[in-house]
Amino acid sequence: MAEVRLSVLDPAGLHARPAAQFVRTASRFQSDIVLGIGDKAANAKSLVGILGLTIRPGAEVSLTADGPDADAALNALIDELGAAVERVDGTKP
Amino acid sequence: MVGLVLVSHSAGLAEGLREMVAQVAGDDVPVATAGGTDDGRLGTSAPRIAEAIRATLAAGADDVLVLVDLGSAVLSLELALDELEPADRSHVRVSDAPLVEGAVVAAVQASVGAGIDEVADAALGARAMVKAAS
Repeated sequence: MAEVRLSVLDPAGLHARPAAQFVRTASRFQSDIVLGIGDKAANAKSLVGILGLTIRPGAEVSLTADGPDADAALNALIDELGAAVERVDGTKP
Repeated sequence: MVGLVLVSHSAGLAEGLREMVAQVAGDDVPVATAGGTDDGRLGTSAPRIAEAIRATLAAGADDVLVLVDLGSAVLSLELALDELEPADRSHVRVSDAPLVEGAVVAAVQASVGAGIDEVADAALGARAMVKAAS
C-alpha cells in the first residue's frame, strides 16, 4: 500500500479533461487506486467517481494505491497531474 | 475497442459533443454522429443512425454503444436497428445514459480498452453524477 497527500494548485481544480487523463493513466495499472478528499473517496479508474468528488482549487487530496505496481502507479499519476498539484508533506510514494 | 454513436435531434449538438469527447478521451475511440434530419431540420433519422453505426463498426469498433438525447430519438433508433444486418445488430448496445455525461464517461472507459459491458455500465453510472447541489 502506498499513499501520498497532494494539494491541488490548478486554479480550475480537477476538471473534465485532466480528470479523464488521470483516469486513463490509472487504468494502466493493476493496483487498486483510490482518490480521497475529506470523507469522500473514489476509484481512480472511474471518471464518474472522480468527477463526483468535485475537487476544487486549494483542496487537499489523498492518493492511495494497493497492489503489485502501487509505487509505479502513484509516480505515474503524480507525473500526470504535473504542476496541477504539489505534495503536502514531502511524502514519497 | 468500443465505439460510440451520438444521436441528437440537433446536428450541431451531436457534432459539438463529438468534438468534446475527442478532446477528453483522445482520438482513438471511434465516434460517429447522427444529428438532425436528412434535410437539416431538428429531428432524428433512422437512415442516418444506421449509417453512423455502420461507419463506427467500419472504423474498427468491435462493439458500438448508442446514446440518445431525448426519448423520441429511440423511435428512429429502433427503425435503424431493424435496418441493420443481424451481424452488425448483434454488436450494438443502446444506452439510457444522459447524452453528454454518458458520452464523455463512456469514451474515457472505451479509450482504456474496456469492453462493451464495462463501457455501458460506466455510461449508466453517469446518471448519478451530481453537477450542482440542489
